Amino acid sequence: MKSKSKEIVFVVVGLLLVAVGFLMLRGMPEAWGGPLPYLCLGIGAGAFGWGSGELLKQRALKGDPKLEKQLEVAALDERNVALANRAKARAFDCMLYIFGALMLAFALMKADLVFILLLVGAYLLVVGISVYYYIRYDKEM
Amino acid sequence: MLKNRLEELRKQRGIRQEELAEALEVSRQTIGSLENGRYNPSILLAFKISRYFGLPIEEIFLYEEESEQN
Repeated sequence: MKSKSKEIVFVVVGLLLVAVGFLMLRGMPEAWGGPLPYLCLGIGAGAFGWGSGELLKQRALKGDPKLEKQLEVAALDERNVALANRAKARAFDCMLYIFGALMLAFALMKADLVFILLLVGAYLLVVGISVYYYIRYDKEM
Repeated sequence: MLKNRLEELRKQRGIRQEELAEALEVSRQTIGSLENGRYNPSILLAFKISRYFGLPIEEIFLYEEESEQN
């Protein structure tokens, strides 16, 4: 059985962040007018959700080595890995079109140039990462 | 196209899909997809299958040229 310490840290930190975010919003809204309380709530909820999910999964698997083995096989199964990779590749192709459409929409709406340039930068970065991995894998295979 | 005799060999030996999947350390769905030709295995899995049945790969997996249709 895996160690639970990482998951427990996530649960505790998550709860603390949610509590802090809630206190910021309820207690002193005028002092914390910015996005910090919402960031605390969002990150806290995410950390708590992931940590508690992992703990519940470990609890469900406890005393059931057959189910644990089944999950391990399913995670490493070559068809499942191929399916996940194909889905990711398709989603990446779609993302390029969606990003392109979004950039065009922002430009047509005459949005602030900083936002458009940030979006263009992110788009180019993603394309650059894709080219980088293509070249790297080309050398490896 | 790649065809295979996986279902035939499995049934000859009276093995269930679940048992074969467990022995090969893949999911039952992978065995199902292999049997009905929707998925072609990696060379590693093909070797595992070949060892499991004690037959050469080419007796389990059959490569057929696709006929050109006009």
